[in-house]
Amino acid sequence: MIEVRNLKKKFGDHTVLESIDFQVSKGEVVCLVGASGSGKTTLLRCLNLLEMPDEGSITIGAKTLKFGGGSVRRNDIKELRRFSGMVFQSFNLFPHKTVMENIIEAPIIVQSRPKAVAIEEGKILLSKVGMLEHQDKYPDALSGGQQQRAAIARALMMKPEVMLFDEPTSALDPQLVREVLKVIEGLAKEGQTMVIVTHEMNFARRVSSKALFMDKGFIVESGKAAEVLTNPKEASTREFLALLDDD
Amino acid sequence: MSNRAFTNAGSNAGMTTSEPLIVVPLKHYGRWCWAALTLLLAVAAMNSIVNNANFEWSLVAHYLTSATVLAGVWMTIKLTVLSLLLGFAGGAVLALMRLSSNPVLVAVSWTYTWLFRAVPLLVQLFLWYNVAALYPHLAINLPWVGLVWSAPMNSIISPFSAAVLALVLHQAAYAAEIIRAGILGIGSGQNEAAKALGFDRWQTMSRIVLPQAMRTILPPAGNEVIGQLKTTAVVSVIALQDLLYSVQIIYQRTYEVIPLLMVATLWYIAMTSVLSIGQYIVERHFGRGVAAQGRAPWEYVNDFLGFKQKRGKI
Ligand SMILES: Nc1ncnc2c1ncn2[C@@H]1O[C@H](COP(=O)(O)OP(=O)(O)OP(=O)(O)O)[C@@H](O)[C@H]1O
Ligand SMILES: [Mg+2]
Repeated sequence: MIEVRNLKKKFGDHTVLESIDFQVSKGEVVCLVGASGSGKTTLLRCLNLLEMPDEGSITIGAKTLKFGGGSVRRNDIKELRRFSGMVFQSFNLFPHKTVMENIIEAPIIVQSRPKAVAIEEGKILLSKVGMLEHQDKYPDALSGGQQQRAAIARALMMKPEVMLFDEPTSALDPQLVREVLKVIEGLAKEGQTMVIVTHEMNFARRVSSKALFMDKGFIVESGKAAEVLTNPKEASTREFLALLDDD
Repeated sequence: MSNRAFTNAGSNAGMTTSEPLIVVPLKHYGRWCWAALTLLLAVAAMNSIVNNANFEWSLVAHYLTSATVLAGVWMTIKLTVLSLLLGFAGGAVLALMRLSSNPVLVAVSWTYTWLFRAVPLLVQLFLWYNVAALYPHLAINLPWVGLVWSAPMNSIISPFSAAVLALVLHQAAYAAEIIRAGILGIGSGQNEAAKALGFDRWQTMSRIVLPQAMRTILPPAGNEVIGQLKTTAVVSVIALQDLLYSVQIIYQRTYEVIPLLMVATLWYIAMTSVLSIGQYIVERHFGRGVAAQGRAPWEYVNDFLGFKQKRGKI
């Protein structure tokens, strides 16, 4: 489903990702954990080319792209993006559109689906994330948790092979976190392939089949989520988890 | 971390109902005093204007809809509409050039804006009007094809075309800055969300960025529109018969200077007022989804009188 090989990314002369390799199979839920600045966001953004990697290759679904040999063609970028849906820490709903308009915009404009069909599918997804009753509201009138659930529905509308989440709950008030995690957990049960950057360790242990631990641009430990996040082998992983358990 | 308590999460966005309270407006006596004083002054001013025979209101009424004046009004409207449409279209192109990643386009756009904001409109107007002295002929020469079209400049530059040219080129420079500021005000998150959904650059600009930028573009743009209507009065210096020049033609013959200037004044007030109302309606349209919406004048009046406010969209 996803295969990343020897991926490198620099900002100026600061190397943020050093030779990243990993695979995600269909239906797998992978969580990406690690200290602040270790490169998790950058890795996730490389997966749908919001950041352009400097070297290596990425395969998602049926599309493989190699980097480092000249610039990537615009059509290739578009094709690779088709296979992934992104959920941002800060939701990024379109504030000038209602919830329903937010989620049907891309299917209509990008995939040329008929509006009526898009609305029908939109209703199904909105009820799945518990947002059907809010379909005519503007994002400003919604709580953070509601906005994030709408943003998840918006990404799902494109029927992505894999969903990418970058700390989907860290901009939320504590009491709103659970409603969003529940939605993500529901997706996991349905077999949606996902890569999730999160600091919610209990949630990560519960939903993910695999965990990748990042440190200074490397994946230093990977394996079954329960093992990596409970009995890590590496010292840096243990240190990181100990820090989180302090509070 | 591990034992964070979650209580009734998921339904906490529900409404809490409470006893309805009866809201009584505050009484502001000072406010009423100031209002009465201001009204008094306004009435006195009105009285002096209406009863001052020098205004010659009967003449004003007579000329207000005379053919010459109406022709002038029409010319002023034409100049305003043309210079705004073409000016903002040009401004949009300049703004996109300035925001592009192509250094040549950026430099061209920057130079244009710098140049056309540096020269007074009046000077530009004279320059375009006299451009025939610089370039007696205008010709289109294509490589390999040769001469496609040519005409003497004097047949192209009339007072009208010189005026439109000067107004449009000047307006474009200002419009570019307004549009650019509006686009820059839209955070990168919106761009990235659109990209991640597969929008191309044009779709992102036209469907996501510009509609949101309109909210910051419109208030200054509305002021430009109203300003531009008044600015068109400068064209009277090249004898283009706009509203101001029309009343000048009449009063140079009849010496009824004040009543005719009143005619022009009343028309300018009427036209700018219509534009202000239009501005309000358009701004409200693009304010969708934003809590703090623009308020209509009558809402302030209601507020002042202490009437109950309808609650806006939250
Ligand atoms: N656009 C950028 N330009 C320059 N440096 C960047 C950019 N984005 C990220 N970085 C740097 O790359 C490194 C990794 O950042 P990244 O955001 O991927 O970390 P992260 O693991 O997501 O951290 P956090 O948990 O705080 O979100 C950091 O040192 C950061 O300063
Ligand atoms: Mg991050």
